[in-house]
Amino acid sequence: MREPVEVAVLGTEALGAYTLVRVAGAGIDVGSPGQFAMALDPDAAGYLARPVGVFRLEDGEVAMLVDPAHRVGGLGGARRLRLLGPLGHGYDLTAAEPASTLLVAGGIGITVLPGVPLAIGGRPRMLAAFRLPTQAAATALVDADTRVVLAPASVLDALELAAITLVLGAGPTGLMHALAERCAAAGVACQVALEAPMGCGFGACYGCAVELDGATARLCLEGPVVDARRLAVAR
Amino acid sequence: MTLLAGLRLDHPVLNASGTLDAIAARDVLGDATLGAAAHVTKTIFPDARPGNPSPRIAETAGGMLNSIGLPGPGIAAFIDDVLPRTRTCVGVTPVIVSIGGESVSDYERLAALLDGVPGVAALELNLSCPNIESGCISIGADVAETLLVTRRVRATTALPLLVKLSPSVSDIVALAAAAVDGGADAVTLTNTARGLAVRVDTGRSVLGGPGGGLSGPPLRPLALAAVYAVRVALGVDIVGVGGVDSLATAAELLAAGATAVAVGTATFRDPTTISRIAAALAPPTSIEAR
Repeated sequence: MREPVEVAVLGTEALGAYTLVRVAGAGIDVGSPGQFAMALDPDAAGYLARPVGVFRLEDGEVAMLVDPAHRVGGLGGARRLRLLGPLGHGYDLTAAEPASTLLVAGGIGITVLPGVPLAIGGRPRMLAAFRLPTQAAATALVDADTRVVLAPASVLDALELAAITLVLGAGPTGLMHALAERCAAAGVACQVALEAPMGCGFGACYGCAVELDGATARLCLEGPVVDARRLAVAR
Repeated sequence: MTLLAGLRLDHPVLNASGTLDAIAARDVLGDATLGAAAHVTKTIFPDARPGNPSPRIAETAGGMLNSIGLPGPGIAAFIDDVLPRTRTCVGVTPVIVSIGGESVSDYERLAALLDGVPGVAALELNLSCPNIESGCISIGADVAETLLVTRRVRATTALPLLVKLSPSVSDIVALAAAAVDGGADAVTLTNTARGLAVRVDTGRSVLGGPGGGLSGPPLRPLALAAVYAVRVALGVDIVGVGGVDSLATAAELLAAGATAVAVGTATFRDPTTISRIAAALAPPTSIEAR
């Protein structure tokens, strides 16, 4: 049976408005980009684990990005964490070429993208949208040719799909639906990492319900990365 | 060995209904039962249900609220597809099928359909879900209705019957007594308690449904009180449910009178909870000790 692995928190540091939590990397499987882990601070008052994107840093440590203003923000104060992962389905990168792949990140959704450049063997372009200028510091985690869009400007207005054959999105549900629609209209393949409240990560709690293919599905089992055409049906 | 409602179990730790999908657990974690002595299914209704709108869960102080709304495929797909695959996953572990309905006749019909189906070891009547508009708790909060539904199901099947009750009732002993009078072999105490998380800016529920069910450690004292009261009043097997997340908390419910315990929300937090408690309660016999 797969079990949670307890790891020591090596440090936390501010990355603009976000917090980067670094943990000991030995024995941790971060999976493929888009997969997630359930992270529990056993010393905190919060009872449930939180779904987080985890990625490996160049020095071998494993890290996760958390938002102090969000439910997962409490992990920023942890001295140790129990990680269960990797879970779910990540991006299908078999057809991804750096020159023709575009990453589209909305806010903390960027946390599932740092592993993409290494996985596809080069630097893709990235559009990253944030509400606050201080949140844009998170783009340093992704080795990409990055353009930042700050609210109230729309990332969709900056979306340029010429020469793009694959879009990998990650972010709020509304943005991912809009991105799916734009890609469908342009005939560009698109995969999106969705967000939903999640209590367990292995299909037990039924908390992470989303609409896929016009029906309710558990995001932890079907996603979090799904082919964007499955959203278009739901709309 | 634990004897519960006539079922011989290896140990007294089960999963709570609706907190473990055996098929998904097998696929994701490599263990369908997570160590439970019997597998209790998610409550199945006569017809397919989509469940409640999102958001469905919210964390509370020390626990959680849920408004899942009992999504499921309906009894026909359950018998034809879900149950056979569940049996394959759980192996020899007994399967207790939880059933729910919007009327007494729904429960009667479900029991009739499940009676004789291979692999069904027992039925648990969910008379206590707080997250649906009709049936379940509206039956299980009424003594006469609880008696009637249990009696009707008892007349339909010889399978062991468990009746799961809510802590959000005025007299849990009277309801448990009605279940026993109706032919229940055990009562499950308790389901989640009715609760609410509210948005200050809108005055509306945080969850997609109008309220939610409170679970985790905050439920434990309510479950203990229910188990103790029913144990004192009635000689019936009891499955204690509510905030069980350790040997100590399982032992509390057993000491209060539970025959067995079921783990729910704690499994979300740590999927090894059931197996850890089971191992502590019934350590494997060593070769030297045989």
